[in-house]
Amino acid sequence: MDTVIIDGLSFALPLFIMAIGGIYSEKSGITNLALEGFQGFGAFVGALSAVLIANAFGTDVQNLFYVSLLFSMIGGMSFSIIHAVLCIKFKANQVISGVVINILALALTAFLTTQINALVFGAASDKFQLGVSERFTIEGLANIPVIGAVFTNVYPFQVIIIVIAIFAWYLLYKTKFGMRLRASGENPHSVDAAGVNVLKVRFSAVLISGLLSGLAGMCFAYSISANFSSNIYMGYGFLAIAALIFGNWRILPTLAACLLFGFAKSGGTFIAQSMALPSSFTDLFMVLPYVLTLLLLIFFSKSNRAPRALGEVYDKGKR
Amino acid sequence: MSKNKMKKSLSYRLFWPIRNEKWQQITIPVASILISFIAAAIVILLLGKNPLQAFYNLFQGAGIFPKSSYAGYKSILTDFLSLLNAMTPLVFASLAVAVALRAGLFNIGVSGQMLVSGFLATIIVGYSGLDAIIAKPLVLLVGIVAGGLMGGLVGWLKYRFNIHEVVSTIMLNYIAQYVISFFIQMYYIDPISRQSKYISEAARLTLVNVEIANLKMNIPLGFILAIIIAIFIKFLMDKTVVGFEIKAVGSNRNAAKYTGINVGRNTVLAMIISGGLAGLAGVTYYLGYFSSIQPKVLSSIGFDSIAVALLGNSHPIGIIFSSFLVSIIDQGSTYMSSQAGIRQEIASVIIGLILLFSACGEYFKHKVSRLKDKEVDRKDSES
Repeated sequence: MDTVIIDGLSFALPLFIMAIGGIYSEKSGITNLALEGFQGFGAFVGALSAVLIANAFGTDVQNLFYVSLLFSMIGGMSFSIIHAVLCIKFKANQVISGVVINILALALTAFLTTQINALVFGAASDKFQLGVSERFTIEGLANIPVIGAVFTNVYPFQVIIIVIAIFAWYLLYKTKFGMRLRASGENPHSVDAAGVNVLKVRFSAVLISGLLSGLAGMCFAYSISANFSSNIYMGYGFLAIAALIFGNWRILPTLAACLLFGFAKSGGTFIAQSMALPSSFTDLFMVLPYVLTLLLLIFFSKSNRAPRALGEVYDKGKR
Repeated sequence: MSKNKMKKSLSYRLFWPIRNEKWQQITIPVASILISFIAAAIVILLLGKNPLQAFYNLFQGAGIFPKSSYAGYKSILTDFLSLLNAMTPLVFASLAVAVALRAGLFNIGVSGQMLVSGFLATIIVGYSGLDAIIAKPLVLLVGIVAGGLMGGLVGWLKYRFNIHEVVSTIMLNYIAQYVISFFIQMYYIDPISRQSKYISEAARLTLVNVEIANLKMNIPLGFILAIIIAIFIKFLMDKTVVGFEIKAVGSNRNAAKYTGINVGRNTVLAMIISGGLAGLAGVTYYLGYFSSIQPKVLSSIGFDSIAVALLGNSHPIGIIFSSFLVSIIDQGSTYMSSQAGIRQEIASVIIGLILLFSACGEYFKHKVSRLKDKEVDRKDSES
């Protein structure tokens, strides 16, 4: 039972931080299907910096966990500039821009990974080996029944994510910047009339989504896959988008959606294992989160409403 | 002054095809293709290789230019036919995306629809041992019906329950992927290849290893169908009431509603057509290009097709050309990598760049129309 909570949380929290990035972008009025590409590229930059630094200074990759987290955020943010420029400056169709960025991220990182492996390390490999990040347990709290599992075998990145998520919540709902950001997605012309540059607000919102997605990608690389390769593009970015739409573009309901995904995923694996079914049955249980989402959406999406100006190019002259 | 005027007329003539709105549909994609090949050439130069040689190898590998030598039973013709074979599912999938786009819907679930129709056609017809005459049309029929139902479900969920099509298609993609993987691994697995068992030759939409004039060719029957269907879709969208209503719903839902068009019915209908096309992509992919299904893997065609449809301006004929180009780069990459010593992955980078630049097409149009306005202003002030 504990493993369901432990594994569920370690999957749900990176998903959650990525979904928060999506909320920032979409609340400001920029549709963001590019989360998948951002997280992959962020993880690529993070993994690359870790591997290169480890190579240059002779340290172990394991020790560079925090360094790579930092670089993954920078990487995700720099890559998101493409989406921001395309959508805001070049007035491209935002959905198409997102899809194109996903394709480009996969192509670029696959190419660069093999190329750099060949050039720097002289190895014909399509992945950067990272290993799994260390975990810690908070002794006193871990002994509490049921809830104790939350404090057992925690990845350090889970704490970081929670801190960032609280800050992101505060920024979006309690500050002037957050209010302007949310207004840019509902009624950009009123924001403009108040003397605020809508395009700047939207630009920063997309950059924030890139930053947070990059972090999420690195967390997946350090926990689920233990390396960086093209397998990082598992569609978690799209899952995050589903979570935020499910959460009606609000942070707390989105957290609930992410937890649902996480627990349904780990729960499915747990049931399959505890019933000692053949491994192919795991596939059947893997469907759980997605079926559950579809069913819940049927009941809850009547009241779902996207930000009013979502996906629209901001045209100052238009009334 | 006169010199200045001369200069203007030269640049005017040079950029005329981009200015002219009728030609923009063609010139902007062509321009983005050129820019991305230049960008790729720079990357190849930086790697210390000859870009022209690499591009030539790319086209050789795809069967457009002749290679220096061929293995037994192979020639430029067999290479070209494999290119068409690979291109067929991409044409169908891109048409599927384009039809949905016209209705204002984003069908991200093409991969899932492909997988479901490919799987159903495989187990219903592929393993049945029917004669080719019955089996091949039946495969197409199963593909269209299965895909159409999947697409229709998405449209219905959108219209009836207000479920965003992006979310429902993503969920259905995952569900299809895992459920079908389960069935393949339980009942239809080939223990050696770790894929589903191969289908019968009679059901396959590509005739494999046909010996003509001492060549072993793969003849993609689906390709002819793809061309016919593309023309049919163009006719449907441009000349019929159905197409008009779908486009009306796509450009403005509320306006369409006020003119008495049934928005819900057209949303579902557009998704049924889109899904049916995705189903055809599925059967030509899993029962044509391949003859078995790899469990747990969604084909990347579903996502590539969104971009290919965009490159072709969501226009059926444009899509044939854009998928032709993307397939050339895809198919030629192996040969290029072996000949020029450049990593194969650069091919997808080129494709990505083409798509990236063509996504900026709107901006070019915008810029050009602004230039035009300025020119008109200047002429006014001069006179």
